Amino acid sequence: MITTQPLVSLQHIYKNFEGFQLEDVSIDVYPGEVHVLVGENGSGKSTLMKLVAGWFPPDRGEVYWNGREIHTKSLPDARKRNITYMHQEIQCFENLTVAENLFFRELSRHTRRRGLFDPNLLIAKTEQVFRELSIPIAPNIPFSRLGFAERQMVSAAKSYISDAQLIIFDEPSSAMSQPEREVLFHIIQILKNKGVAIFYISHRLDEITKVGDRVSVLHRGKITGTTSCDNLDESSLIKMMIGEVHKERYPRLPGQRGKVILSVSDLTFEPILKGVSFDLRQGEILGITGLMGSGRTLLANCLFGIISPTGGEIQVGDRAVKFSHPGDAMSNGISLIPEDRHKNGIFPKHNLQRNMTSATLRRFRRKLFLDELFMNELTQQYVDILKIRPGRQNDLIGKYSGGNQQKVMLAKWLMNRSRIYIMDEPTRGIDAASKIDIYNSMNDLVSKGAAIILISSEIEETLGMADRILVLAGGKIARELKWEEASKENIIAAATTED
Amino acid sequence: MYAIERTRIIKKELEARGQIQVQTLSSLLGVSEVTVRRDLERLEAEGWLTRTHGGAVINRPDGQSALSELLTPHQDPRDHDGIASVALQMISDGDVIMLSNGEVNRRLAARLEERSNLTVLTNDIACATLLAQQDSNRVVLLGGTLEKDELALFGTMTLANLAKFYVNRLFVEVDGISRDLRLTVNSQEKADLILEAKSVAREVVVICPASRFNHTAFFRLGDLNFAHRIISNSNLEDGFKAQIFASDIPLYSSVAAFEGSE
Repeated sequence: MITTQPLVSLQHIYKNFEGFQLEDVSIDVYPGEVHVLVGENGSGKSTLMKLVAGWFPPDRGEVYWNGREIHTKSLPDARKRNITYMHQEIQCFENLTVAENLFFRELSRHTRRRGLFDPNLLIAKTEQVFRELSIPIAPNIPFSRLGFAERQMVSAAKSYISDAQLIIFDEPSSAMSQPEREVLFHIIQILKNKGVAIFYISHRLDEITKVGDRVSVLHRGKITGTTSCDNLDESSLIKMMIGEVHKERYPRLPGQRGKVILSVSDLTFEPILKGVSFDLRQGEILGITGLMGSGRTLLANCLFGIISPTGGEIQVGDRAVKFSHPGDAMSNGISLIPEDRHKNGIFPKHNLQRNMTSATLRRFRRKLFLDELFMNELTQQYVDILKIRPGRQNDLIGKYSGGNQQKVMLAKWLMNRSRIYIMDEPTRGIDAASKIDIYNSMNDLVSKGAAIILISSEIEETLGMADRILVLAGGKIARELKWEEASKENIIAAATTED
Repeated sequence: MYAIERTRIIKKELEARGQIQVQTLSSLLGVSEVTVRRDLERLEAEGWLTRTHGGAVINRPDGQSALSELLTPHQDPRDHDGIASVALQMISDGDVIMLSNGEVNRRLAARLEERSNLTVLTNDIACATLLAQQDSNRVVLLGGTLEKDELALFGTMTLANLAKFYVNRLFVEVDGISRDLRLTVNSQEKADLILEAKSVAREVVVICPASRFNHTAFFRLGDLNFAHRIISNSNLEDGFKAQIFASDIPLYSSVAAFEGSE
């Protein structure tokens, strides 16, 4: 039921953020249409949709609503205009029931009988909605008991009972099983029939034709193509998503692979990681890549004892181990250089030396004191090796450039003298020179018998540095690729398709 | 500074280090490189030292020759060792490689004893001598006219020899990489040799210590894309690192990140 006038139309939108921009984006959606947005991590899909939902205004360009230009200033504004943005992480009231959450915003409108709130009516109405949408959830259980996919369904149901004219789904299916996805698609079909316009952000190429009417591809903040979902050719879509690949510029060395030093079998963390198995050999850089929500970081956290897996086994060398704390992993020769140094890594208000020595204070302990001379010496040694600038021991780390902060983080974990280094996004948002230093440090580690698990959403980097690549999709290893056979095309194809 | 005083300092430095660069002496003494070269010539005539490419090595009174000094690994700067270590990792047993003449490649030649069944082509006498001591590797010295300053062989004979071979990997030691990333060497003969060698090599690895960046030698070899890979030191200026990365050529350096494992 596509009408002639789009519900929302964006024309030549520009928006600048630090380190990222939307450039000359034009996109629209009609009532009763599902417009799918695809693109790599960081291509600007969520940013664009937040702009549509009115989280922030564009720097330049126009937004039309039913043909009239509008200036959405805030979320309540968007709500009045009946735009619903469905986040990847659903915000709900954990201690209320499913039914109460479902009708929360309309509680007074739908659930009164003779002026009084009627809990039975609430349940009955919820049951009715769930029946219409084929959602298999009991209305009276607490929301806190719902899993990720069920939350998404309730959230979708919420948009069904609201009078939303435009609904934005931000990767709703990334952690859903096949039956759960069928329910979601059913809900979307009903919404379409009601004449609701839908933007649907997806990472999964296999669902585009199932759910979408049109698809647009974003690449580095620009729309590289919009096309109808009928007769969609997956490989040309992948080409639109990728852009140029510069795999050659990474200083990869062909390593001398040794014996297996880490063996993971059937590792599971309900409901996201499902039976992950792999071996890691001495002298190897093992790349792990996958889309957001594929379980990359979760896997790293399981391997480092930050969270305990619900199933499966980890072997270090030939010993089976169980980590209940990062300290356990560290004493088994594992270090994790976590993603997002601002959140997990650095202490911005402390100086360089404290930051660098903070993970290995044990090494500097002399009876009741810390051996400051040794701390100075070793810190200086790493400053020199990694060319950390300016590199004075008393410098506040918060003032350092991203590249130098990242090198301090690296040094902090190198001091742990591990055999296995898990590096989660080790070069995100840092300058090219620092990247090169970090890649060459990785080479040094593996050439001396350590092993690295390189987790990166930057596919090019994984292609450039890793001897072997595991592609995660939906918490499983979708594909294993040797360096010689790996390409951006087959990685994206594996990462965006499940089962 | 008087010549006699300069001579005293040069002798002292040579005693201490065994070898020294013209550049180093020039800045140490505060005189031009031309003056230093003249001093070195005189000292060579007196039998004190042997001049080498870009510097000089001491002649020990116990009869050790300049050559054997060159071959003594501990006298090479640590920077060169780092580069040699990285280069070594690009070489596997059984490879056919070529080393152009140069100080870093001499370090690499010494390290090749860690590999076996290599066939190594070189025009550098010191490299060949080092390789001759390695039982499991074969060395082919490309004949030609001896350039005494560099202890290396050049000329049409060398080029003709070279044409008979095919190498997996050519390690080219260059004498300068300019700000705009042009590769240069010190002599026309060297440039000719390297260009010929490139035509028989599957892959070209350019070796250039950080100290030779932002420096232009006299003879042009080519642009950066002459190289498939570049090896330098990690203290290379950030600007060069970023430029090379942007040129899509991998830059390797030795970063001693591994302290050990517990």
